[in-house]
Amino acid sequence: MRLVEHEGRKIGVFNCEGTLYAIEDRCSHDNGPLAEGEFNPATCTVECPRHGSLFDLSTGRPKTLPAFTPVQTFPIAIEDDTITLEVD
Amino acid sequence: MATMATPEVVAEKRDLAGINSNYEEKFGFHDSESDYAYKAPKGLSREIVESISDYKDEPAWMREFRLKALEHFYSRPTPSWGGNLAQIDFDNIHYFVRASAKNSRDWSEVPEDIKNTFDRLGIPEAERKFLSGVGAQYESEVVYHQVNEKLEAQGVIFTDMDTALREHEDLVREYWATIIPANDNKLAALNSAVWSGGSFVYVPAGVKVEMPLQAYFRINTENMGQFERTLIICEEGADVHYIEGCTAPVYSSDSLHSAVVEIVAKKSSRVRYTTVQNWSPNVFNLVTKRAVAHEKATMEWVDCNLGSKLTMKYPSIYLMGPEAHGEILSIAFAGAGQHQDAGGKIIHAAPRTSSSIFSKSISKDGGRATYRGLMEIADGATESRSKVVCDALLLDEDSRSDTYPTIRIDENDADVGHEATVSKIGDEQLFYLQSRGLSEEEASKMIVNGFIEPVTKELPMEYAVELNRLIELQMEGSIG
Repeated sequence: MRLVEHEGRKIGVFNCEGTLYAIEDRCSHDNGPLAEGEFNPATCTVECPRHGSLFDLSTGRPKTLPAFTPVQTFPIAIEDDTITLEVD
Repeated sequence: MATMATPEVVAEKRDLAGINSNYEEKFGFHDSESDYAYKAPKGLSREIVESISDYKDEPAWMREFRLKALEHFYSRPTPSWGGNLAQIDFDNIHYFVRASAKNSRDWSEVPEDIKNTFDRLGIPEAERKFLSGVGAQYESEVVYHQVNEKLEAQGVIFTDMDTALREHEDLVREYWATIIPANDNKLAALNSAVWSGGSFVYVPAGVKVEMPLQAYFRINTENMGQFERTLIICEEGADVHYIEGCTAPVYSSDSLHSAVVEIVAKKSSRVRYTTVQNWSPNVFNLVTKRAVAHEKATMEWVDCNLGSKLTMKYPSIYLMGPEAHGEILSIAFAGAGQHQDAGGKIIHAAPRTSSSIFSKSISKDGGRATYRGLMEIADGATESRSKVVCDALLLDEDSRSDTYPTIRIDENDADVGHEATVSKIGDEQLFYLQSRGLSEEEASKMIVNGFIEPVTKELPMEYAVELNRLIELQMEGSIG
């Protein structure tokens, strides 16, 4: 996992067994720091360290409560050795 | 003023006198522990958690879940809000006690002492008369479980959680901790680490369970920790009513009850979960209960809190599908030395959802009742409506009532109402009833019963009668 920052916004970039995903580093339930949570590359999920909601990194959707709304995801492009995040 | 007692009143008084033997006689007795199969030493450790898992011969994923939960428990601070949790000595608790080596489907096979206890509490009689199934948990594990054969033939599963994990592992694993993760809060983490017993209910699509399923939880040992785990899955169009009751012996030192209850109400289903909590006044009752209601589903919590030293319990409902409906009916009765910190949470997360929270609390003899609730209408939950009503009745100057309602609305077209009242029994009410021939005590009881009537009328008859009697029992001696 790599945490990057763009204009004050923190984004976690995760490597799920070869595929990269980027999500906002802020749980939709209580603003917990998602990137600090337990990352499972096999299921491509991260668990919010604050209250335990499990997020699907490919969609940003929570798989468990207490979070119930998705977190923002960002498209990733890889060109040569450069990884680019598309942040609106 | 002299009053004439009718035969019904005399019978009622005699009845009440019978029940009015104090809690210690009626529920507070305890059995010998000489025949127990296993009693863990006091205190919490990784070894205790591993030994519980070993005893149950669990799959590896559950063992890992427990150990991870234990780390969450250790790393989280004890909540400083609500009741005084600093009083709990987590090292002075037995985290696992196995009273009987087996779980039976035949009352005659239940060990004699335990059977006598449940007989005294009226469980077998209730099963015969008006229940579809019964579970009886004694200490850490369920000792008896039975469900109506016709329901079983329809695919209904009603068993204890340990058996469910062995016999329906895939189903359990699919839903386990998805509603309440281990790290949801400190007490949920504790339950997740040391859970034992509880109920597993699965109702297939379209099946209506006509009569309630009931579980009864009994603590017998001093300094006992009971950590049952209940999971209810109600498939599309199905309907079930689950009832739980609980009591414990009266001891001079404290016990801890910390359950986790997860409910999934699928599309167009209906789940009602009724609790009549009557723990002895040395039990800390710290429970996490949460349900998710999908499209057009109805979820109802009927939560009656009479006993315990401190209860902190806020059943919640996430309305996740359009037109889902949630209701929370809550009664809290706080007597001497008791703090009932109860309430409920409803989160509207989909359009056209509706909900209501009705909370009634009664405080007497210095007791403290707290309503703590959340009603949230999230962004996108358009055309949703909710009503929150919390009423508190204070019976004397020494008692206390607090209300902490939180309302969050992120939609413009929501229809939300909130009402709260705090009242005392009025002199005019008493005067009027006494002028109709009632004594002051009878009049007070009648007013209290009228106050909680919106909740008791939602209970099955047998439970409504029992609840009224328990409250009358608590009311004894409250006048003069």
